[in-house]
Amino acid sequence: MQSKMHVPYLFLTPALVLFSVFMIYPVIYSLFLSFQSSVQGEMVFVGLQNYEKLLSDTIFLKAVTNTFIILVIQVPMMLFIAIVLANALNSVKRFKALFRVSFFMPAVTSLVAYSIIFSIMLMGDGLLNQIIVATGLDAVPWLSHPWWAKMALILAMTWRWIGYNMIIYLAAIQNIDEALYEAASIDGAAKIKQFFYITIPQLKPVILFTAVLSTIGTLQLFDEPYTLTKGGPSDATLTLGMYIYQTGFRYYDFGYASTIAYVTVIAIGILTYIQFKVTGDE
Amino acid sequence: MQRMAKFYILLVAILLVITACSSNNGGTTTTNNGTNTNSSQSETNSSSHNSSEKENVTITAWAWNVNVGALNAAAELYKAENPHVTLKVEDIGRLDVYDKLSTGLAAGGIGLPDIVLVEDDRIGGYVEAFPKGFLDLSAQGFEANEAVFPNFKLELAKVNGTYYAFPFDAGPAGMFYRTDIFADAGVNADSIETWDDYIEAGKLIKEKTGSFMAPLDKFNDDPTLRMMLNQLGIYYFDAEGNIDFLHPDFAVAMAKQKVMDDAGLIKDVIGWDGVVSATIDGSVATIPFGAWYYGTIVDQAKDLDGKWGVFRMPSFEKGENHSANLGGSSWMIPSTTKNTDEVYKFLNFFSTNDQVQQIAMTDYGLFPSLQTVYATEVFTSEVSFFGGQKIWELFANEMPTIKTPYYTNDYAIGLDEAIKAQADVFNGKAIDVALKEAAERLASRTDRQINAY
Repeated sequence: MQSKMHVPYLFLTPALVLFSVFMIYPVIYSLFLSFQSSVQGEMVFVGLQNYEKLLSDTIFLKAVTNTFIILVIQVPMMLFIAIVLANALNSVKRFKALFRVSFFMPAVTSLVAYSIIFSIMLMGDGLLNQIIVATGLDAVPWLSHPWWAKMALILAMTWRWIGYNMIIYLAAIQNIDEALYEAASIDGAAKIKQFFYITIPQLKPVILFTAVLSTIGTLQLFDEPYTLTKGGPSDATLTLGMYIYQTGFRYYDFGYASTIAYVTVIAIGILTYIQFKVTGDE
Repeated sequence: MQRMAKFYILLVAILLVITACSSNNGGTTTTNNGTNTNSSQSETNSSSHNSSEKENVTITAWAWNVNVGALNAAAELYKAENPHVTLKVEDIGRLDVYDKLSTGLAAGGIGLPDIVLVEDDRIGGYVEAFPKGFLDLSAQGFEANEAVFPNFKLELAKVNGTYYAFPFDAGPAGMFYRTDIFADAGVNADSIETWDDYIEAGKLIKEKTGSFMAPLDKFNDDPTLRMMLNQLGIYYFDAEGNIDFLHPDFAVAMAKQKVMDDAGLIKDVIGWDGVVSATIDGSVATIPFGAWYYGTIVDQAKDLDGKWGVFRMPSFEKGENHSANLGGSSWMIPSTTKNTDEVYKFLNFFSTNDQVQQIAMTDYGLFPSLQTVYATEVFTSEVSFFGGQKIWELFANEMPTIKTPYYTNDYAIGLDEAIKAQADVFNGKAIDVALKEAAERLASRTDRQINAY
């Protein structure tokens, strides 16, 4: 009977080995890298120099601002629409599968493929502008104006992830006790009231979960700005993720890139902690 | 316990075998899977024998696009005299070559080929970031070749006085134009001397045919600006490496481009593919680019045979410099190469052999920097795709007067800031403000001085 205790460890070993080599080692090594700088091709210890550089880096500030603007607008909007959609889908009787599949499909498309298609659709004379012009409004400079470029990113991201979050909410809504809704109907509460006073409070843990995931995902945002706008007109859509990548792989400043990455991680940690505190355990 | 012990040992053994196999494959990811371990062993064998033994040598190379064809053609010629040398070229996209090269160098030289194609504007950046990553060609005797290359190519192949690259193709600039669209609008290309003439012609063409004058990825690239700067004899940096964004001519170039945009002559396209599409579908009447664009036009716009021409890039003032260079690349040898002498010999042959360079041009549109080639017949021949025009002569005549664009090793950052300044100007910012901000950002990112004027 004793020998069986080793079995779980056996199953865990491959995953642990891979995790240590590909996750833990780079994370620790990049912490060391963040205190180093490249001098004539050799990495030399420079103490807090990189961190000091970060404080006066205007481009880093721009990247942080951009990322936060996108975060603050996109995440709440997307999550709210996702809950509304999930609620609506829950009460749909026919074509349930069709709706679910079509909303979830964007989440499984290739990131690069959909970014390219979106960039074509958002061109000056692309599909979206053609529709807009047909309704009598001016064409929107989606990819050339600093503000509209951010909107274009938000549009693309929402399209992609709304289905993913919606499915999570749908599963959670289906677990809400029908009796609550019945009691509310008997008391004369309208559907909207029921939504805000029953559904949303009951979904609190799930909302926290999706909010934390979305926040982490948005703070690390890289794929969409990289393919869609390449950092936007004059860094208007430069995100933290992109800045880290550029610094490391385009300008070969791996030390500084590690510094930015670590500061980002700390920021994500703090934000996540705050989110837990605000919505968390009561 | 006995059985568990055996199980553990087996598991550890499997893991060890997997890791051992992967480190073997690490150095030869470029070749086909079946012969991985074999070829890595044969490479180490051939390097331990001296060249006097003529062991079979396989040289690996990374290049993109038409350059692959040129390499293969040269390899065939070389093999006639040197049957023991085989060339294996990998056709990888331009940006992917840089990604793989950067990653390989950053990893300490893993998975790198013997030869890699690098555009001139990247040489400085690579050598500065990875000083031990590339073979010192001066030590191999490159100076013997100095006489046959134009000065600006030699300067770009050197870093701190040492040669690191074999000059290959240059990008003497020209205005490729659609002769049929010009004819429809009644514009005579010979009458275009200055950029102002060009803008006037563009307005006429837009009015009569609806075509834009030129394509540009307005917010992500600045090739036209770079050619203009080169024409005016300046660039992002000067010869001492100081930032030249505030040079009055820089603002002149930026202003000219803005005038073109305000007149509605620039078609905003997305990336390289957008430029090529605009070239094929006739939505633009001209494309200002380097001579290498010939290859793309001939390859992609086959049914527009005979409808093309080239005229010199317009100058800023009448009688001033027309010549400019855009692009151009050279061959570098990563220092991890195991066949130093053989690779150097092959590249020396490739770069200084008239026949090879001619083939590269006529078949692949790669304009040679090798000056001895300009004397050959091909350079005064008529090119039928271009309506019989002697386009190679036009480009060759430009070469002596091209000024050196000082890329420096911070070119990538300079390019980033110039594009941002261009984007800001297109979005309405005042030119002097945009350039000043860009210059200051560039100075703080690169620790270089800004030249004041």
